[in-house]
Amino acid sequence: MPAKKNTAKPRRAVIVGGVRTPFIRAFGPFTQLDTIALGTACVKGLLNQFPVEWKELDSLVWGGTILPGGIAVNIGREIIFDAGLPDTLESYTVTRACTTSMLSTTLAAASIERGDADVIIAGGSDSTSNVEVRMPPTLVHKAAPVVMSAKSTPVDYLKLLTKIHPKNDIVPSRPSIRERTTGELMGESAEKMAGMHGISREDQDAFAVQSHTRAAKALAAGRFSKEIVPVETPGGETVYADNILRGDTSVDKMARLKPAFKEDGTLTAGNSSALTDGASAVLMMSEEKAKALGFTPLAAVTSWSYDAVDPNDQLLIGPAISMPKAAAKAGMTADDIDIFDIHEAFAAQVLCVIKMLGNDEFCQQRLGLDKAFKKLDPQDINLLGGSLAFGHPFAATGTRMISTMANELHESGKQSALLGICAGGALSGAMVLEAV
Amino acid sequence: MGDMLLELGKKDAARKVVKNLGIPLSLPQELSRPAGPWEEMPLLDVDAAVGHLPGSELAPQVARALGGMGVLVHAAADSKKFSHYQKQGAARGRLAKALDMDAKPEGLNFRVLIFDATGVSDPAELEMMYEFFHTKIRSLSPCGRLIVLGRPADQLEDVSQAAASRALLGFVKSAGKEIGKKGATSQAIYVEKGAEDRLEPVLRFFLSDRSAYVSGQMVRVSARVKALESFTNIRPLDGKIALVTGAARGIGEQIARTMAGEGARVIVMDRPGEENLTAKLAREINGSALNCDITASDAAKAIKDHIAENYGKKGLDVIVHNAGVTRDKMLANMDADRWNMVMSINLLALIASTRELLEIMPDNGRIVCLSSIAGIAGNVGQTNYAASKAGVIGFVEALAPTVADRGITVNAVAPGFIETQMTAAIPFATREAGRRLASLSQGGLPQDVAQVVTFLASPQASGITGGVLRICGQNFIGA
Repeated sequence: MPAKKNTAKPRRAVIVGGVRTPFIRAFGPFTQLDTIALGTACVKGLLNQFPVEWKELDSLVWGGTILPGGIAVNIGREIIFDAGLPDTLESYTVTRACTTSMLSTTLAAASIERGDADVIIAGGSDSTSNVEVRMPPTLVHKAAPVVMSAKSTPVDYLKLLTKIHPKNDIVPSRPSIRERTTGELMGESAEKMAGMHGISREDQDAFAVQSHTRAAKALAAGRFSKEIVPVETPGGETVYADNILRGDTSVDKMARLKPAFKEDGTLTAGNSSALTDGASAVLMMSEEKAKALGFTPLAAVTSWSYDAVDPNDQLLIGPAISMPKAAAKAGMTADDIDIFDIHEAFAAQVLCVIKMLGNDEFCQQRLGLDKAFKKLDPQDINLLGGSLAFGHPFAATGTRMISTMANELHESGKQSALLGICAGGALSGAMVLEAV
Repeated sequence: MGDMLLELGKKDAARKVVKNLGIPLSLPQELSRPAGPWEEMPLLDVDAAVGHLPGSELAPQVARALGGMGVLVHAAADSKKFSHYQKQGAARGRLAKALDMDAKPEGLNFRVLIFDATGVSDPAELEMMYEFFHTKIRSLSPCGRLIVLGRPADQLEDVSQAAASRALLGFVKSAGKEIGKKGATSQAIYVEKGAEDRLEPVLRFFLSDRSAYVSGQMVRVSARVKALESFTNIRPLDGKIALVTGAARGIGEQIARTMAGEGARVIVMDRPGEENLTAKLAREINGSALNCDITASDAAKAIKDHIAENYGKKGLDVIVHNAGVTRDKMLANMDADRWNMVMSINLLALIASTRELLEIMPDNGRIVCLSSIAGIAGNVGQTNYAASKAGVIGFVEALAPTVADRGITVNAVAPGFIETQMTAAIPFATREAGRRLASLSQGGLPQDVAQVVTFLASPQASGITGGVLRICGQNFIGA
């Protein structure tokens, strides 16, 4: 375990606000919006909600997991152009699977802490409806010399056509979210973990229902009214709300769904997060700057931990490592944490993670703790629902959780929140937020 | 020349033909060998059956070792010891499964069979061990591992207990001969009282592919050496400085490569005249080349100067005495030169240089000497060689206790028939006999020796000192 970080740092990074676009199931109303458009809508919404003077902005730190390579990779910079923000505002784009926008937030926090910047927009977006369809590399290798050369003549193009094999060179490869090393789909890995830890279909369904019910209740209470900004689509439609949430779902309805990843499996479309389009962002400042500019800090970023495990073992168990480590870096024990919020890629994965957080041997061997970090019931976590209910636009989930938790700390009077996210590549991330 | 039978045995079709025609020819099983450096979980999701006597004490250590390697454990559910496997299994997402101790397992293949006999008080109790292996041994996978755990007989006061303890070794050696044809190995690990916490990494090694060519051995785990160093499961030699003598080619070269693969900075030492080879190898493994005659009076000084020059002030963490020569001749025809040359390179230089190099060896250092089966069993025409290699065993046995309080271990390894340039020059019939006289029915490879030497050079091996470990595929000679 890492020792407590030196907290005698002069500057604290605080979150003064956060918003997201509605989270929309893939190939729905957002299909025509690519990740840059979603990000642009989100950043504009953030600046409407929290009108900081543009000259104060130091940087835009963006994140994406499905980067539109053919168009632009540094999508943060494109968002600046499309949102009409100053050309002189610098930006970079990071990628770290599902922890991507947690990473953009902590990178922003780090530069604020070390005095590099005072005001940063951090966020992330993904459009699963706009996954690039890749042409076979054989076609690229044959065509590139002709297409890229200025000296190519029409005859060269004709010759090229004769060389192209209709089946091998034209049929594009199917995009997938398989792990490169193991060849497993994310859901197959989660299914494997459910089997390993004996997580039942019933427990997964019950957790999924809890997520939907809590999210619906919070939504009805107006809890997200400040967090979700409407988005206008190219078709002229304005989308105001998420479309994955099912407040009226029940364990009976969940029980009727067929297994999604394995014939006799326990994971279904109901207890797995859906492919989603969306963007989210937070406005971050140094505490002094926030005060000087008249913003109310919602929460401070206290600590974070990024970790990795063996993808051949338990791909999504990482939060059980990262969460205790982030707490330790904040100088906290589990008892010092008021709110636990864990990204719900799959109900099964969350239940595996809390099982390991409560396992003495795991915490001794993998973390060097004396005993289990904390025995948590599924009811103890994700008080306002999670990714099962909202959806999971990969790079937007981090700042979605951070915004919600920052607001929750501010409104509830609670002191601390511990966030955990599992990610592809057997990665994980966790952070501690504290009320200001 | 390659091993034709082994090559043939790799082909399923050939195996079938041999079997169907009833040809009295047993084709050796190709051994499963590690493809790269040490891994965190080398036995991910393989099945292991574990049995024990009621009074046995090592369930916590076995459970930890197996759990850490990613193994799925099958054990008797009605025993208190099952909770150890459950606890470790739950932490790894691999809950232990109930196993009937005296029935044949249905539809299961075990990569690992372990029986903890540390609690044995009377040979009559070994019937439980018989039942366990009798019903499970057919389910042992190719290249599987059979391990019996016991307490060293010389530490037991009760004669029945001591007899039972010694019985384990006879059992293990015979079992090894029965399972050898499927590439599986068998070992007896004797754990001294108080050395229980040294067992886990030893088990990890002997359960892994890294012990592919070690079988029928007795391994003694003790706490005689101070264990002053914590370690991680991968890259065990990270940052260590290791000297390998005779490293230009063959087994020495492979040892240097394997150690470098585990993070060691290797001094590739060989005699003057091998500059091309040592320089090339040193470049490839990011080590340093030292060409110096180990028998020269200033050899140790040259090594010390080399370390100071190339690695700053750091000491020498690992010494592997691999350099050796043969000058075979029947005793009656052996001239004094042959005798003296072999003795001086293989033994005298080893003793002299170790004495001096120990001065710069930090705590937790490791010394590994290459002995030979010839040193144990003797060989026609090798009075000089066998004397020198037996002398090496005497040397490690005597040196080990004197450096134990510094955390330094001293061990010897005794390779059997290893496929090298040297053995390729042996006449066909002798060579063939050399291979088939082993339970594994094949020769070993230089990397098999290198893996064992690397393990003995690691912090993980703090429980093993003053002994000689054979790497011979359980060769019948001298066993």
